[in-house]
Order: sequence, then C-alpha cells, then structure tokens
Amino acid sequence: MKRSLFEVKQSLTELASLLCITVIVSAFLGLVFFIGIQGLRYFLPASVHLVTITYPDQRVEKYYQPETVDKSSLLADINARLVQQYSDNPANLPLAEVVHTEDVIEIRTESGEVYYGTFERLTSDKNDNLTITMMDNLLLTVELLQSQLSDVQENQLMPIHRRLAGLTERNVDENVQLFRSLQGDFKRWQSYVTGVNERLSLFNIVIKDAEANDIIIPLSEISSLISPNSVTLFDKIVIFSERLINFLSEPPKQAATSGGVFPAIFGTVLMVILMAIVVSPFGIIAAIYLHEYAPENKTTLLIRIGVSNMAAVPSVVYGVFGLGFFVYTLGGSIDQLLYSEKLPSPTFGAPGLLWASLTMGLLTLPVVIVATEEGLSRVPKGQRQGSYALGATKLETITRVVIPMASPGILTGLILAIARAAGEVAPLILVGAVKFAPSLPVDGTFPFLHLERQFMHLGVFIYNGAFHSQIDANVASIMFASCMLLILIVFALNITAIVFRGRLRERYERSLL
Amino acid sequence: MKRPFQLNTHISAKYNQELEALKHSVLTMGGLLEQQMVNTLIAIEEKLPNLAERVSLNDAKIDGMEQQVEQECMRIIATRNPAASDLRLVMTVAKAANDLERIGDDIVRINRLVQSKGMPDSDFLLAGLLDIGNRIVSMMRGTLDAFARQDEKAAIIAHKQDSDIDRVYKKLLEQTAEEIKSNPEEIYMWMDVLWTVRSFERIGDRCKNICEYVFFLNSGTNRKKISMKKNLKRLLKNG
Amino acid sequence: MFKLFEREVIAVDELSLNQTGIDVRELSVEFDGKRVLNEINIRIPKHKITALIGQSGCGKTTLLSSFNRMNELNRRHKTTGEVWIDERNIYNKRENLAALRSRVGMVFQRPNPFPMSIYENVCFGLKIKGETSRRVLDDAVENALDQAALWEEVRDRLFDSALTLSGGQQQRLMIARALALSPEILLLDEPTSALDPLTTLHIEELISQLKKTCTIVIVTHNMQQAARVSDYAAFLHQGDLIEFADSDVLFTLPAKQQTEDYITGRYG
Repeated sequence: MKRSLFEVKQSLTELASLLCITVIVSAFLGLVFFIGIQGLRYFLPASVHLVTITYPDQRVEKYYQPETVDKSSLLADINARLVQQYSDNPANLPLAEVVHTEDVIEIRTESGEVYYGTFERLTSDKNDNLTITMMDNLLLTVELLQSQLSDVQENQLMPIHRRLAGLTERNVDENVQLFRSLQGDFKRWQSYVTGVNERLSLFNIVIKDAEANDIIIPLSEISSLISPNSVTLFDKIVIFSERLINFLSEPPKQAATSGGVFPAIFGTVLMVILMAIVVSPFGIIAAIYLHEYAPENKTTLLIRIGVSNMAAVPSVVYGVFGLGFFVYTLGGSIDQLLYSEKLPSPTFGAPGLLWASLTMGLLTLPVVIVATEEGLSRVPKGQRQGSYALGATKLETITRVVIPMASPGILTGLILAIARAAGEVAPLILVGAVKFAPSLPVDGTFPFLHLERQFMHLGVFIYNGAFHSQIDANVASIMFASCMLLILIVFALNITAIVFRGRLRERYERSLL
Repeated sequence: MKRPFQLNTHISAKYNQELEALKHSVLTMGGLLEQQMVNTLIAIEEKLPNLAERVSLNDAKIDGMEQQVEQECMRIIATRNPAASDLRLVMTVAKAANDLERIGDDIVRINRLVQSKGMPDSDFLLAGLLDIGNRIVSMMRGTLDAFARQDEKAAIIAHKQDSDIDRVYKKLLEQTAEEIKSNPEEIYMWMDVLWTVRSFERIGDRCKNICEYVFFLNSGTNRKKISMKKNLKRLLKNG
Repeated sequence: MFKLFEREVIAVDELSLNQTGIDVRELSVEFDGKRVLNEINIRIPKHKITALIGQSGCGKTTLLSSFNRMNELNRRHKTTGEVWIDERNIYNKRENLAALRSRVGMVFQRPNPFPMSIYENVCFGLKIKGETSRRVLDDAVENALDQAALWEEVRDRLFDSALTLSGGQQQRLMIARALALSPEILLLDEPTSALDPLTTLHIEELISQLKKTCTIVIVTHNMQQAARVSDYAAFLHQGDLIEFADSDVLFTLPAKQQTEDYITGRYG
C-alpha cells in the first residue's frame, strides 16, 4: 500500500517535471518560430492578388494585395473585415472577389516604394511604345547615362565648385578672368547634366494599376522588377538572397518601412566592441581584487552586495544616470575644455556613441564581475598551492596559473555582457541611439572613429518601428526581420560563448574533473 | 620501560581474535606436552612400555601443531603487518612453538628408555629420574603459566628452577658414571640412561628459553644480555 | 661484536647541528585561534628521510607546511617559534618567501599539474626565477625528469599536456617540477595516497634515491610506507610531538604507549 503511494508520488513528480519542460521548450520554440516565420516573409516574394470589391451602389474598388496566404483565405479575411465594418448595415454589404492574375508585376524603387500593376509599355528617348523585351537594353542605357552623370558630377562639377568656393572665401573679385572662366565651365557642365537628366526622364516604364490608371516610373529609379505570381523556385531563392543581402547591407528607406538595417547592425557591433573594451579590464580587475586580494571584512561584503545589487538595477536607471552624469556633466565639461569654440552647439555634451558604450559598460559590469569571480573560485586550491610551492609570488600565481584557468569563466561573463548590451533598448535611447542616424560613426575623415556621433542600434530600431507603425504589414515584417536578426546575433554570441568556454575548459579544467 | 601487554584493544576485532588464538595455541601445545611428561613419568615409575609407546606416538600430534602455529604466524605477518608488541608476540609464539616441539622430541627420547631393552634396575636411578621429572613438570607448568599471564615474576621463578634441575642432573651424571665404572659390561644400557638424563636437562633449558621470551614479549629487550638476577632485583624493588 | 647487519643510524638525540637539515624550536601554529601545533621541538636530520605519522588532524601537514611557510596562505593563521634551515630562522620578518619556497620544494597529496605541457610544468619554477636561456631550461628539464625516473617515459611527448599523464606519472612529474629547482629540502605530503601499490613502490624507490641530494620529509598515513622508506619517524598526536626516533626503533620498540597504540592499530 505504502509502496504504491510512493510510486504514485514518484510518477506524479515525473509528470509534473515533464510538463514544465514541455511548457518551457514549447514557449521557446514558439517564440523562435513565430519571429522566424514572420521575419522570413520580409525576404520571400509574396504572391499578389487582385481584389475587387463591388459596393451595392455599383461603385467598384480594385487593388492589388500582396499576400503569402492563398486566394481563398485572403478572400475569407477580406469578407470577415467587411462583415465587421458593415455590421450595423448588413444590407449594404459589398461583394468581394479575389483574382489571381499571372501578369501582375512588382516594382521596387531605389527609394523603397513598391508598385503593383500590369505592364503597359516602356518609353525611351526615341520610342514611346516599347515591349518588355527591350527592358534590358533600356536599363543598360540608363545605367550608362547614370554613370556619365555621376562621373561629371564627381570629376567636373565638384572640383570647379570647390575652386569657386575657395575664391569666394578669399574675397576674389567676381570679374577676375579666372573666376569668370570657372563660372563659365560650371554653367556649361551644369547644362550638360540637365540635358542628361532630361534625357533620363524619358526612360520610363508605364504600368497599369488595379483601377487601370497609368503609373509612370522612371527606369533610373527602379531597383527591382519581378512578376511575383509567376516566379520559379530558383527565382525565389535568388530574390530571397538578394533581399537578404540588401537587408544586411543597406540603410533603411521610406521611414524604416523598407531597405535594410546595416547602420543598426554596424552601430550595435561598434557600441558593443567599445563597451567590451571598457568593461573587460575594469570587471576582471575588480573581480580579481575581490576574490584574491580583498580582506574578508565588512567592507568587502558591502562591495559584494553592491555589485549584486548593481545587476538588479533597472536598465533605464542606468540610462538616466548616463544622461545626467556622462552626457551633461562629463560631456559638458569636455566641451567647455576642448571644444569651447563650437559652443553652444555640443560636441560631447550630447548623447553619443562614447556615452552609450560607457553606460552599457556600467550596466554589464556586474555580469562580468560575477562571472569572473565564479571562474576564479573554480580554480582548485591545489593549483595555487603548486604554484606557490614553486616559489611564485601572488602576482605570478594569479597571472600564470589562476587567470588562464579562470579564462572560461571570464569569457562567459564577457559574452553574456555583450549579448545583454546587444539587446538592451531603454538606456540607449537616452544616451545616444537614434531612430535614424545620417552618418555612420566610422568614416574616412579624421579621426575616423567619431565617438561623439549618435548611432543606430538594432534594439532601438525595432522599438521605434514597433512603436510607430503597426498598420502597415510591410513595416511589421521588417520589424520581425530585425527581431530575427537580433535573436540570431544574441544566439550566435551565446553559442560562441558556450563553444569557446567548452574548448578552454577542455584545456584548462580537465584537472578539476 | 614496562607496560602491560594488551591483546584485546586492536581496532580490528578479527585481529584480536587471531592473536588470541595464536597465543592460545602455544598454551594448548604446552598443556599437551605437560600431559606427555606426566605420562612419561608414570611409564617410568610403573615400567609400562605400552604407555611409553603411546606417548611416543602422540608426538606426531605435537609436530603437526607446531607446523600449524608456524603457518599461522606467517599468515599474520603477511596479512596484518604486525608492528612493535604485536610483532614480538608473533615472533615469540613462533619461537616458543619451536621450543615446545623440541621438548616433545626430548620426551620421545626419554620414553625410548622404557620401551626398548628396559632401563637398568636401579633404585637411585628411578628415584633420580622421578625427581628430575617432577621438577621438570613443575617448571613446565610455571613457564606456561608465566607465558599465559605474561607474568615476569612467575617467569623468573620458573627460570630459577632450572638451576635445581641442573643440580639433580649433575648428581645423576655422577652416579651414572660411578655405575659405569663399577659395571663396565653394562655400559650400553647406561649410555641410554645418559641420553635420557640429558634429555631431561634439555627440557629444562627449553623451558628457560620460553621464560626468557616472556621478558622479550613485554619489554622488547633481549633478556640474555641482562642477568636474571638483576631483573629479579628490579622487579622486587618495583613491585 | 660482529655485525651481521650494517646500519648507520645516528640516534636522534645524538644529532649534531651540521647533521640537522631543519631545526624546529618551540614551534606553535594556530588556525582561527585553534592550536594545531603545540610547541614542537624537532631536529630533522640532513639527507635522510623523515616520516611524519599520526592521525588525521594531528598537525602533520601543518608541521610540514611550516617548513616552507605554506601555512601562510591561510589568512587566519598564527605561527610562533623558530624554524632554522641553513643557519637561518625562516620565520624572520625579512625572509624572501619565493626564494625560500624554491629551496624547499613541496609535493602534494593529489598531483596538481598545471594545464600546460610537461615541459612547461617542469620549468615553471625556473621561469619564475627568471631563467630564460633555452639551453639551461632544456638541461634542467631533462635532469629533473631523469631524477624523477620519468624521462624515458615522456621524452617523446614533452610538449603534450601534462594532464594526459597517468596518476603515477603525474606525481613523478610533480616531484620533477620540485627537483628542477634543485631544492635542499623536499617536503612530500602523502605523495602516494592516490596511487596504486606498485606505482607507490616506484615513488618510494625514487624517494630513497633522492635522499642523496635532499633532505626529505614525508607525511604519510600508511604506516608500512613510513616504516619502509623512512630513516627517522616522528609521531604526532593532537598537535604534540609524541615521539621522534629512528624508524628501526619507532616501529619495533616505541618508547611511548601512544605511539605503540597507533602503530599497532589500537584504540587511541
């Protein structure tokens, strides 16, 4: 009897733990799959449906709807929406119809706009009515013209303009021969550019949208043209990788509704690297002091408690602190001391990359300290004894024996800190991360790394996107794509940490086992 | 330096038992030999060759016992690695067993006198043999008792008995020599007597050895270096 | 008298000063206010093997560690008294601990090779001392490994991780590591407690070879081992030195009842 009760208890415990594990695993997988699928939609070409809605008053509304779901579920969706819309007036319920047309094309412009329609005609400077087969030729011509244009701008207009500006700065009289000839050149090149531009504007593609209106799109603006309803699998893969590459390498366009997230990735990585440079020496030295040197008294205990409490402080508090201390106090003083000629416009006295890195360093310091201490305490006593017994001093023992053996722990802490900083949002908004930064913090002008500049951050980018535009499906999908990227980056960092730690353990900690 | 020998205090109870059994085996052997000696004296006194023969046959048992003791000692040394007093006990037991086995051999030799052609019909001889025999029995008893109790005083008392035995032995020798002088034709018969008397004396010596082992067991010093008299004086002063 | 067995053992109380390797005077050690060693006086003979025996917690290891001041790694310890090595009290305030520890080598109970190559392990101490010449290091490594009877086994894999060695090899490596510094004194803290009997015998043989060059002090729980390898033996009990004598005497005829009880396995 007792035995069976015991067995029941045991199986209940097993069941409960199994349940818990299932919940955790499914929550995790659900998150990953949801984000992953939603994010991938941004890269996959969606098929386009022609939606026709006929109202009872004979008014007809037509539009193209890009959707990954099939025709019938799209129709069901639309009907459901209409029924809800007309719930108080069911008699006027319009009639919806979805048609899958093969000949629809999707055009994306350089500026990120998307057009759907059926091909009408192509225009060039010579002919107003060309078929789609001429497309490649025309595109080549356009490309040639564009390169001519940029060549002229770079090599002719820019130098002349610079020389003119130089002359003006030196207050040279406008009637001097040189000045005049330069102005003449400038005008001549400008008119050339205008001519080329006029010629370029004749190269257009004309498509008909759902309501049969002509849309004229200059060929020079087009970045991609596909017919989404008749792509093969191979085309899909090509389109997918193209969009993926664009996503990773291009700046956001159209107020972050299309384009890529390259500046955000770049800013995140740069900020994280700077933070690691700041946090690792401080954190590791602090941990070594605490673990190896600090006397075991109340002060040390207080410091330890302080460190663990630092880890519990909400991150936005760090942001406020960073803004108040780093940006205004520290940055303000730097401006007064070094950049007083630029005041009142601030240089370091405004949120920027440096302050963001320092703030994040402060935020992740406890993680590094705790992990390093953990690593240090894993070094067996015998190793230290062995080193001391061979005549090593404390410093030699720490640098030659203890730190190499604690390196897995130290590294773990550092990578956890990096992963945390990569995903943090709240403090960054306050101390330097912005929705859109006009320039990267690294460029070709001295001093190459501009610590005072504001930067873009993947987490902040997602936050802004999610905050501003929940309506547009396309915006949502770029946010999901960014989320997926962020998750991948954090996972990759964590996996790197685990692999690296495993290797170091293999090397240094086998004696512990 | 003197300290009571404690057998029952090892952490290993089995070891205690083994040492106890080892020590006991010596006492068993000694008891058997005492019985042999008593029987021998009866055989001499009553002239019973049959009894003498039985005693001689019994000696095989004692030889067997000695072998067993030896094996047990080797086993204990090999498995228990005895140290200090334990080691001395094992060594002492081995040596004592050896001495006891020799005593057994001497008893067989004495019995041969009764068994074979018969001993010479002489009153002084019979009286002398019984005298020395009884002294030997008493010394054996004292020795074994001293060994059993690790009693140094008893050992010294037993040890001192040997000088009496030596005295009787010498007297017997002289008388035997007289007898041989007066009856040279019986010389072979008297030679046997001579051996017998010698055997008695040897038993006394071996008992003396065992008494000495008691000292070795207790103090670890080889008592042959120290005179027994000094030992006795010291003991009397202390206790 | 004719001697059947040759033995040249000087009785403990007849040791002269220049036959003494370590002279311990009134040494007391406290941990956390608890006395672990109680006014120990002992003269450890030079170029001999001295075994320290006694129950766990009797202070053997503490006594051993006080010879190279390893006790000081524990923060809450207090040592009073003197330990003289080479006519110097090592418990003076200006003693250079690193130099002391390179003269007084120590091998611990469990082999604790550093996670480096065999070569690096052996020359760790020399490198700490500042030796950089490759030739000197190579020679020292070969010498030390040879002395520790390990050279033949590892000569082809000097640059493999020391953790790939077997337990017995690791312990010999630990001895080699200490020997590389050519110490005057070698302290062994239960060096064979984690090894099998045959490996133990190898290490014991090695130890008895080493006494030509160093004074050796060995702590061991194994009475037979102490009896086998040592020339002298000291029995400690609850922080007191009960008896110190040459091993022949101590293991056959100890002077004190406590020693007798301990070595014959009786209730303490």
